[in-house]
Amino acid sequence: MQAITKTFKERLIDFTMYCRERQFVLGPQETRDAFEVAERGWVLDRKLFQYSLKAIYCKRKEHFDRFDEMFDRFWSRYYEEKLEQRKKQIKQLKKEKDTATVIFLGTEFKLPKKEVKEQEAKETVGANESIRLRFTDFSKVNVTDKEKLEELAEELFHQMSMRFKRRLENANQGSIDVRNTIRQGISKGGMLLHLAYKRKRKEKRKVVFILDVSGSMDTYSYYLLRYVMVLKKYFKSLEFFTFSTELTHVTPMLRQNNEQEILRQIGKNVHSWSSGTKIGASLTEFLAVYGSKFLSQKHIVVILSDGLETGNVTILKEAVRTIRRKCKTLIWLNPLKGMAGYQPIQKGMVNVMPHLDAFESAHNLDSLLKLEKLLMDV
Amino acid sequence: MNKEIDALIKDFYEHDYILNEALATSIFLLKNLEKPLLLEGNPGVGKTMLAKTLAAHLGTNLIRLQCYEGLDVSTTIYEWNYQKQLLHIKLFEQEEDKMTLQNQIFGMDYVLQRPLLQSISSEKPVVLLIDEIDRADEEFEAYLLELLSDFQISIPELGTIQATSKPLVILTSNRTRELSDALRRRCLYHWVDFPSKTKEIDIIAKKLPTIDEELATQVVTFIHNLRKSSLHKPPGIAESLDWAKTLLLMNQKNITDEIVQNTIGSVLKHKDDVEFVRSRSVREFLVPIS
Repeated sequence: MQAITKTFKERLIDFTMYCRERQFVLGPQETRDAFEVAERGWVLDRKLFQYSLKAIYCKRKEHFDRFDEMFDRFWSRYYEEKLEQRKKQIKQLKKEKDTATVIFLGTEFKLPKKEVKEQEAKETVGANESIRLRFTDFSKVNVTDKEKLEELAEELFHQMSMRFKRRLENANQGSIDVRNTIRQGISKGGMLLHLAYKRKRKEKRKVVFILDVSGSMDTYSYYLLRYVMVLKKYFKSLEFFTFSTELTHVTPMLRQNNEQEILRQIGKNVHSWSSGTKIGASLTEFLAVYGSKFLSQKHIVVILSDGLETGNVTILKEAVRTIRRKCKTLIWLNPLKGMAGYQPIQKGMVNVMPHLDAFESAHNLDSLLKLEKLLMDV
Repeated sequence: MNKEIDALIKDFYEHDYILNEALATSIFLLKNLEKPLLLEGNPGVGKTMLAKTLAAHLGTNLIRLQCYEGLDVSTTIYEWNYQKQLLHIKLFEQEEDKMTLQNQIFGMDYVLQRPLLQSISSEKPVVLLIDEIDRADEEFEAYLLELLSDFQISIPELGTIQATSKPLVILTSNRTRELSDALRRRCLYHWVDFPSKTKEIDIIAKKLPTIDEELATQVVTFIHNLRKSSLHKPPGIAESLDWAKTLLLMNQKNITDEIVQNTIGSVLKHKDDVEFVRSRSVREFLVPIS
């Protein structure tokens, strides 16, 4: 038996959850079996680990046919990182060996400064492809990176949804909070007289996402849509709308469990995809039809749009002002904000800026992941 | 790949069974995690043969339970030996201590062991093949749950009988009906698919060493093209082997229209399928497959 790291355990649990979300019926027994496989050291052999999990997690042909692709999607990065780590270790060992030889010969060995810098830069680019993709603007993703970005997005969004689910809060009952129990004991001279408890946080926030799917947002809207789909798993009371020239209430389509089916439904029902932008008119329609139901002092409204309004700017300004008044927080995510030298000087943006609580970028994976903090802190 | 799995593949090959890595890993887990293995797949892909080869590989006995509709406890787990019990009562009817008599006739000596009980009572671990579980009733699946998860059987008069040695259980199903989730959850799973062209040629060559390579290739190409057609019952590996054997007995070097007309019965078992093939030219089925 071989001890497996905590990070690896979490990763394996995440993978189990990932499979569950894709209709695999997995209970604690399957997770236990997977841990046993990992503890036996079979994880070091990618194929062996893959086929073992396949035998344990699949319960019918439909699972069996999909499993390999899912495994690759989830674990390829892990194995790539392991390989890179190993390469680095070998490199390091070689380097140490070379240095030792030089010292033995009595000569001081130093690389010229410029050379060192170049070397570091090369390593950074090579070793952190996931970081590079994380910071790549969605509109500048080339064909070769697209698939990798898809995988990374799926993995990071999944991890984010896990983080949301794991958040705990102080409570009078639940599981014992060791950290807080010890902390409270400090004031009693180290005696643990009172036990502190924690429990899963009950989500009270209500979030409304309004996504611009007009032509100018084409390169971003797909990723933003995927992002909202992940958030929907956590925020029970999340409402989702899309707009360009008309407003569509998408929430009923998100009730499916199958992601592909959701995308298919949205593709079928959102007719105004990639058309013009009438932000003001769409937000006014939102206020008139859904405002009374989905706007209150408990609601956070997130508008995802580039703000390139083709309609009447006064209508837009008035709509945003009303929304702000009726909700708790209004956040505007603008993919253009990620561009170097961007200033919100378009008519649309200039008029809405004073009414916003936060104005953030949404042009790459990293900026979307930062929104997580924004949503939790509100 | 792991050394043990490589050894497993090699040993199975020596027993005339060609394993792929995924299936070998499932067998490896079956041995190491002590969980039953559920094999699903079309008829004739070698599911039953796998269990037989596993028994041969381990040098142990194979206990086979062929499932059918109406299978019950008395035919699968145990039955009281009524004749022996009656004889015992007759012999000791003068005995005053009736309680002892009762205890005696409801002991293990008076139990007729059926395959499932036999498999857990064996001194040495055996391979238990529960073949075509989809043919049995759902009630029978429920009987199996206790055995599959805890390797024990409960007999009301005797209590729970724990396994002396844990059998290696293989269940097979042709998917004629959907099995319950409870049963699936207790098993490892593997879908046994039709083999690739190269693998099927290897299988034929392994089983029929005297066959000409060209003929084996033709047989496999023909069969693979048949599987692509929408037949009532696509031919399995067993049918490929039967046909290759037939052609070998007839000293044929090539597949011709005449040969197909005369021998296709050993490949296809459905009237419509046979007529479909007979109405077409042999060249259509000898088109190389990618």
